[in-house]
Amino acid sequence: MNVAQQIINGLVLGSGYACIALGWTILLGVARLVNFAHGQLYMLGAFVTWYAMTRLGMPYPLAILAAIVALAILGALMQSAMMGLVMTQNLTSLMIVTLGLGYVLQGGSALIFGGNPQTIPGTLARAKVDLGSLWFTWQDVLVLAATLALYGAVWLFTQKTRFGSVIRAVAEDPKLAELFGINAKVVYLLVFVFECSAVALGAALVAPRSPILTSMGFNEVIMTFVVVVLGGIGSIGGALAAGLGLGLFIAFFGAFVAHAYTTAAAFAVLLALLVIRPAGLATK
Amino acid sequence: MTVIESRSTNQLPMARSAAIAVLIVVGFFLPRLLGGTSVAYSTLTTIAIFAVMCYGVDVVLSYLGEVSLGHTLFWAVGGYTAANLSVKYGLNGWSTALATVGLCVVAAGFLGAVTLRTREFVFSLVTYAAAVVAYEIAFNWDAIGGSDGIVGISALKLPFGFATYVGGTQEELWPIAFVLLLLTLAFIARFRRSRLGTTALMVQMNPPLAASLGIDPRKVRLAVFLISAPITGLAGWLYAYQRAYVGPDMFESYFLVMMLTAVVLIGRRVLVGPLIGTAILIAQQNLLSLGGDWNKIILGSVLALVLIFWPTGLVGFFRRFGKTRA
Repeated sequence: MNVAQQIINGLVLGSGYACIALGWTILLGVARLVNFAHGQLYMLGAFVTWYAMTRLGMPYPLAILAAIVALAILGALMQSAMMGLVMTQNLTSLMIVTLGLGYVLQGGSALIFGGNPQTIPGTLARAKVDLGSLWFTWQDVLVLAATLALYGAVWLFTQKTRFGSVIRAVAEDPKLAELFGINAKVVYLLVFVFECSAVALGAALVAPRSPILTSMGFNEVIMTFVVVVLGGIGSIGGALAAGLGLGLFIAFFGAFVAHAYTTAAAFAVLLALLVIRPAGLATK
Repeated sequence: MTVIESRSTNQLPMARSAAIAVLIVVGFFLPRLLGGTSVAYSTLTTIAIFAVMCYGVDVVLSYLGEVSLGHTLFWAVGGYTAANLSVKYGLNGWSTALATVGLCVVAAGFLGAVTLRTREFVFSLVTYAAAVVAYEIAFNWDAIGGSDGIVGISALKLPFGFATYVGGTQEELWPIAFVLLLLTLAFIARFRRSRLGTTALMVQMNPPLAASLGIDPRKVRLAVFLISAPITGLAGWLYAYQRAYVGPDMFESYFLVMMLTAVVLIGRRVLVGPLIGTAILIAQQNLLSLGGDWNKIILGSVLALVLIFWPTGLVGFFRRFGKTRA
């Protein structure tokens, strides 16, 4: 049953895309900020996990925590440096600054972790589950379960708690929110720290599936773009649906058309949707 | 805010033209003044090529205020066009340059048209993604070079009817790179005073005014994007002949970061800004290099720090400094 296996592969891929894109969705949708260092942050999260496990001998759960803490601190530093641009809503400069910082992260990581490809050790990624002719790994199950749980938690948090409405107020009008006694800087800082922690968690969960390289950030980030734009920028449910849908599309395209051109195919889907429904995709 | 220098052109036109002529002559003999070594020639040729590459981004970033992250695509289109047409069909430099301009306009027209009705940052996202996708295609498509690229590009031949100029060595390529740089500078200077250039600036600086005059900012964005692509493309075209090799490494984020840094370092909307920025950055990388990874950290830091601390670039920094002194 090749089709059933491809559906499983698609869900596996798609939950990974959605997991990595969660931080960006929140950042863009809730705070209206763009972070082009996202791919490099993913790379760094994967390498911190790898370093914690192989060099410091930490068990996998502890290594995940280490990656989250490390990237949260980095995120706080980055956002503090960019705070002036954020408060003046200078999006053009912010895009370029994050791109520059991403390049710094890439160079710095190559210095610290070396230029060789590495694999995150782990038993889950090697533990296969066989169901007759179908198979997947326990790591895949973990990614899917964690992604669904994370999206659920974030949706509840932004829609149902007071802090969620505070964040949305700041995104709508930072100056007006400050008049109501909300400290917009703290909100922006927390949202950015959340983005970095979320991508660290995503990297720690998704990266054990394949070899990691310090130069992979540039290419890794494109699936996040596609997911976020397809999902309707900033829509949490939309991003989850877009991630899973894109995963299924990629799995089938890779299996039946051409494995080498999957990124190009994802991009073609993005372009087609931008032409058909530009307003519907660019706005909520 | 940096504004375009509104120097009166009537004021001492002769002196101004003479100064420009002297600068051009000095510029042309600069490699010889710096010792005439092959290092001097290759470094200055690289600076000229990279400066032209940066001017493509400069047009979009400085005058339109949009961020194109896809100009590595046009850079690679130039390189791949030159390599494929000259190696496989033996075409001369004029034909490959013409094909480069044509393909860049088509690619930019496609990207610009697709993003025409989207929000601004979606334009940046899509251009960035386009470069990644083009990288994947170039890497996997063996007919245009594949992962190995194309080696052994023959010397650049530019026939002038009665004679043919051959750019084989760095020394012979320098005049071509220099002329390309001069043409680009002249084009940008003309663009700044053109209707499109001033309209683009108005769309960026005062959108309500532009709207009240019935200007469609999307069309302006598309037009500016269209003319910016061949500039970067022609730089890639010459780069292919300089290295005698093209490969997927033309898509590396280094070139993208380089283009943006060179533009913002001196300051946006300064005519010679990208040229000086490129010269400073290439001089650091070629002459004061600390190794590839450290150079990445330096380049990325310069880009981020300039925008965070001196958003108007070094020009704005010195201007403010000059004002407090005066």
